[in-house]
Amino acid sequence: MTAIFKREFKSCFTGMIGWVIAAVSLFFLGLYYTNRNLLYASSDFATVLYTMTMILLFLLPAISMRSFAEERKNKTDQLLLTSPVGIPSIVAGKYLAEVAVFALPLAAAVIMPLILTAFGTVSLVAAYSALLGYLLLGAACLAVGTWISALTENQILAYLATFGALLVAYLMNGIQTMFTTGNLLAFVVFMVIVLVAAILVGVSCKRLTAGLTVFCIGAAAVFILFLARPAWLLTAFNAVLDALALFEPFKDIVGGMFSIPAIVYYLSVIGLFLFMTGQALERRRWN
Amino acid sequence: MIEVEHLTKRYGSHTAVDDISFTVEDGCIYGLLGPNGAGKSTTMNIITGYISATDGTVRINGHDIVEEPAAAKACIGYLPELPPLYQDMTVREYLLFVAELKGTRKKADRAAAVEQVCARVGLQEMEQRLIRNLSKGYRQRVGIAAALLGTPKIIILDEPTVGLDPAQMIEIRSLIRDLGKTHTVILSSHILSEVQSVCDRVLIIAHGRLAAQGTPEELAAQLTAKGTITATAQGSREAVAAAAESVPGLTDLRITAEADGEVSFTAVSTAGTDLRGALSQALAAAGCPVLSLSAETMSLEDVFLQLTEAQEPAAAPEVPAAVEPTEAPDTTETQDTTEGKEGDAQ
Repeated sequence: MTAIFKREFKSCFTGMIGWVIAAVSLFFLGLYYTNRNLLYASSDFATVLYTMTMILLFLLPAISMRSFAEERKNKTDQLLLTSPVGIPSIVAGKYLAEVAVFALPLAAAVIMPLILTAFGTVSLVAAYSALLGYLLLGAACLAVGTWISALTENQILAYLATFGALLVAYLMNGIQTMFTTGNLLAFVVFMVIVLVAAILVGVSCKRLTAGLTVFCIGAAAVFILFLARPAWLLTAFNAVLDALALFEPFKDIVGGMFSIPAIVYYLSVIGLFLFMTGQALERRRWN
Repeated sequence: MIEVEHLTKRYGSHTAVDDISFTVEDGCIYGLLGPNGAGKSTTMNIITGYISATDGTVRINGHDIVEEPAAAKACIGYLPELPPLYQDMTVREYLLFVAELKGTRKKADRAAAVEQVCARVGLQEMEQRLIRNLSKGYRQRVGIAAALLGTPKIIILDEPTVGLDPAQMIEIRSLIRDLGKTHTVILSSHILSEVQSVCDRVLIIAHGRLAAQGTPEELAAQLTAKGTITATAQGSREAVAAAAESVPGLTDLRITAEADGEVSFTAVSTAGTDLRGALSQALAAAGCPVLSLSAETMSLEDVFLQLTEAQEPAAAPEVPAAVEPTEAPDTTETQDTTEGKEGDAQ
């Protein structure tokens, strides 16, 4: 794992990508910091980081797009997968290198709140918890990107798909408000989810009956819920949409609500997507 | 030792590898021979654990590749068809990375191991060069060096000489022969002369099946006795045919030309012995003087072409002698085809 981590990290900086990432994030960080904190004399460093989330949408897919897509394209994954290193170590090594590339420029952000203390009282707890939240948010986005990169061998496709996914997550709050009306919509959406799940099960088991069974059971369950407890369906629907809003917990942290659930949420997203990355690599060997 | 049992790989409805079983003994150089698309690379990728088989098992020194992948993979050094090189690294950086990947913990040990393999494959002067700037021959050497790191017992090389110029080919072949003294080597190739000159044992794969196996001499020898006899004798067509058919073991009689009382024919000898003497005697006894008589023995090339060009793959026999030639080999044509193939490869 350390071998892969070292190689990935180094290759980011022997090529352009690591430097570009560092330059872009430092530029915007410096810009917002100068503007908000220094020129407008605000002691609130967290909002600077909050403004930076926009930049993350463009920046993070660029870090994660290479990870598995490039290996697969150049067939170098053959070296990794035939060496005595397990898939979890490969995924962990690559992912940690991505996080390190993202985190390295943030070293500058560590000093920024300290500089502000020279001019007055600054809540360092708020500033550093926001920084931690920012780091976790970025790490979660990178996990999503790594998974998408493992699905394709085209880096541009990986970039666009990750950007799209992150954008949907970013706008999820707005999207959610469009859907507050009506249980019927929730019913339809859950039916579609059941249908997709049934197709996935059917295809992966290569059995029509398995897919049909899943669909019948799922559809019946959703239908009964819709008739008996329509409110539950709506709550569940909103809960699903909430879970997809990747940027919301960070907003809460910036707003001064540093919470354990937010940390747990980001760690679970990271765990889930890295697990799915491993599964994607494993599945590729079978097809 | 590698034990491959009933290996099958299906991609949808296409079967790339169809129920292959073989055992690789220690200390030999094995050649996996077959035309492009026969399933050589797929077989190697399954043995090395890069892809999974649909069915069947692979055991490397007793370790199942699916059950104990780490232990099994540690026994193997693999050079895939396209060497898996990172273009932006120098040769030395890359080899140090591979050494660490294969579990060499100490930095000094890694450096020593890299020195050693570089000396072995002749890369010392290239150590500081970027891999992207290397020629194909040197890239291949870097790939072989990487396969040698981690002191594996078994070296698997997928088409190691493809794309090299003739001088490089000879160098790589002598390197492989040299490796064979200390390692078990499996190499795949579609070039016969290469397999014939390098390998101790040959496995011929065609249409995803194991068509034949044995030493190059065995494979050729077993089929020599099945050679085609071409003869010309004086006399009527009926008399010559009757005389030839009276020889036990001579089948598939075909009259190829008939003019001025001379009859030319070909026949296939399946008796396992040279039937030229018997045929000559039979013709003489029938009052048909023999004008010419020759036997075409089958080279490994002919065996290969017959086995691999058969449209309908026969059930994979353990003994190559059981393989029926579908038609008499045309020597000139086979030569051309093989040369064409080698030419493509270069």
